[in-house]
Amino acid sequence: MAGKHPMDGSPRRWSRRQFLTRAAGGAIAVPSMAAVLAACDKPGTAPSGNGSTVTDIPIANPDDRVELPLNGTAITTDTPIEAGATLQVYNWDAYMYKAVLKAFEEEYGVTVEWTTFNNMEEGIQKLISGQVQPDVFFPTTDYISRLVQGTDDGPLIQPLNHELIPNLSANVWPSFSDPGPYYDVGAQYTVPYTIYTTGVAYRRDRIDDADADAQGYEMLWNPEHTGEIAYYDSYRDAIGMALIRNGGTDPNTGDPAEITEAKEAILEIVNDLEGSLRINGTYAKLPEGEFTVSQSWSGDIVGAKWYLPKGTGQDVLGFWYPESEPGLIGNDTIVIPTTSQSPRLAHEFLNFFLDEKWGYMNFADWNGYQPPFTSIDPSSLIDDKVVAPTLSRAVVTEEMFETALIQSQLTPEVDKLWLDAWSEIQAGG
Amino acid sequence: MANAEATAEPRGRRKNRADEAAGRGGAWFPNWYWPSFSLPGIIWLLALFVMPFYTVLSVAFGTVEPLFRSPLPVYQPWWWSFATFSETTQKFYAGNAVYQEPLIRTFIYVIAASTICLVLGYAVAYYTARYAGKYRVLILVALVSPFWISYLMRIYAWQSLLQADGYVNDVWSIFAAPTNWLSGKPLTVILGLVYGYIPFMILPLFGSLDRIDQRMLEAGRDLGASPARTFWRVTLPLSKPAILAGLVIVSLPMFGDYYTNDLLGTQRTSMLGNLIANSVFQAGQGPEAGSLTVVLMVIVVVPMLYYLRETKRAAESL
Repeated sequence: MAGKHPMDGSPRRWSRRQFLTRAAGGAIAVPSMAAVLAACDKPGTAPSGNGSTVTDIPIANPDDRVELPLNGTAITTDTPIEAGATLQVYNWDAYMYKAVLKAFEEEYGVTVEWTTFNNMEEGIQKLISGQVQPDVFFPTTDYISRLVQGTDDGPLIQPLNHELIPNLSANVWPSFSDPGPYYDVGAQYTVPYTIYTTGVAYRRDRIDDADADAQGYEMLWNPEHTGEIAYYDSYRDAIGMALIRNGGTDPNTGDPAEITEAKEAILEIVNDLEGSLRINGTYAKLPEGEFTVSQSWSGDIVGAKWYLPKGTGQDVLGFWYPESEPGLIGNDTIVIPTTSQSPRLAHEFLNFFLDEKWGYMNFADWNGYQPPFTSIDPSSLIDDKVVAPTLSRAVVTEEMFETALIQSQLTPEVDKLWLDAWSEIQAGG
Repeated sequence: MANAEATAEPRGRRKNRADEAAGRGGAWFPNWYWPSFSLPGIIWLLALFVMPFYTVLSVAFGTVEPLFRSPLPVYQPWWWSFATFSETTQKFYAGNAVYQEPLIRTFIYVIAASTICLVLGYAVAYYTARYAGKYRVLILVALVSPFWISYLMRIYAWQSLLQADGYVNDVWSIFAAPTNWLSGKPLTVILGLVYGYIPFMILPLFGSLDRIDQRMLEAGRDLGASPARTFWRVTLPLSKPAILAGLVIVSLPMFGDYYTNDLLGTQRTSMLGNLIANSVFQAGQGPEAGSLTVVLMVIVVVPMLYYLRETKRAAESL
């Protein structure tokens, strides 16, 4: 063996042409070989990586709190901060204040790379396929247990080391830190990012407050506003609100009749009322005057002031959310995917956004989405000019979570009903 | 060298080949030489058409991963399942046929937009080729120059022109009540398509009209035909291949277009392309997106085959 070059063993040298033809053949042969190897199992029939099946996935909801299984280990406290790293942040578009990201970069001497998705499904699919390999990700709560379960390649998010995120217990509502939220008891994998309600935004120069109060959800179905109605193009929120408007009490219903009715209500907006299903209706197009009413997350309407044309006062923005009966409420989370190259820095990032000063700045100076901080007194947000006085109902309090309706994870069967209804809506029937 | 071979071995195949070679100008090439020139094209087709399309088929006839329900392509044809495909195609005709309207809509929009492209494009190309004189280069540059700006940017510009308090309504309201152009109006989407694709109609038409022999037209006039008749009997038939090429070039991408409607329309004006775009990232809808792509593929193959047949005929009649 000594001194023998591996190539010496080959029976003959390849001419350049032979090399080229074989290399080309090899290039074509590689995927087909992989396919043949994969052919040992029909895709989708093999048990997933850790032997459990879909039915084992806990379906969390506020009445059925879930402590997630510990799938993997958190990094240790003495892990050094990855110096000079590039932190990959994968978030919803326009959902974070660039100035706070800049402050984080400066404080840690790192670079933040910002990648966005337009809806949760897109975000999840690109995470699974590895197209995006983030250090920090912002999933909705209904995906958490599935992200912990992961794919054949293992879990998609990693447990958190709470010692590295002191702001979680110091600054966050106990309901989100200890005992932790219903979808992740003990906050083992997630920290909360923002809290929001889902109501109806309207132009106060076109609808007065008393009228808005009298109409409630019906503002969105009022023929007077034909051509000036926007509704979210996110299936859970769109169908969810239509269910409540139709008199339902369960925003996670599996009743086909209720789902069909909700679908028809949304199609009425699209077809008869010439409404538009889109993500930027509330935060961008309502302040510009394009729409008169829109389905609205509370954070969207609070942040809408940055989109008002010059000379238009903040008092044109109004927000209705039910007072007497329960409305829709929710929160978003921050997690650290297992793909993270800089998990320690990612922990610092989570802690940074739970910091009183920076988290507040992110909310007040750009985002409009409230973080669940004990340091924020909801009643002073209006005096502090963070929330316009006309948007008082967009302020979220901890007590609201006790009675309001939460959109939680659907079982795969129910989810299919929702998605079928949604594809009919997309077709404009 | 070929000649030397020919003298050394004057009979049989080699002789013929040498004769051929002499006919071609003296050089002799092995059999694989000329076909090998198609190699880049073949590799291009394999890598950028055959393999992607096979993947689309594998997604359409594949399955979904159970937990996140992301598409799992099945590459082995013996395991293909056609359940989703037949379910999807049934949505075009059976039961409550939810996809029928978008399909009909797609055809109406594409036919209307292509027709408008043809009528407007023909006039512009005709003028440029025949009457623009020293300005023709200027006109052609003016036609192409908008393409230096991305389509997305140009459509965003249209969004702000068309919005409720935009300039279009400022002018429109002189004649009629202002309209909400962006609230799912078929007309807006059709004009958006025309705007996006009309240069692809004008350029082949210009090329063809520009090449028409002036003497043919003069002959027509000499034989007593009126200008209109000369146009119908000479110019139009001679430009027919270009008309077909233009129609194919603009209508095929229009069939799959989704961003025009995304930006200028609503779900009320959803086209086939929108159905595909919407299902691609929707959990569990991957195979449906693949199936819709196959359906679209079948639809666009029909005009393509017609075009190929017509151009072949035109070539034979020359």
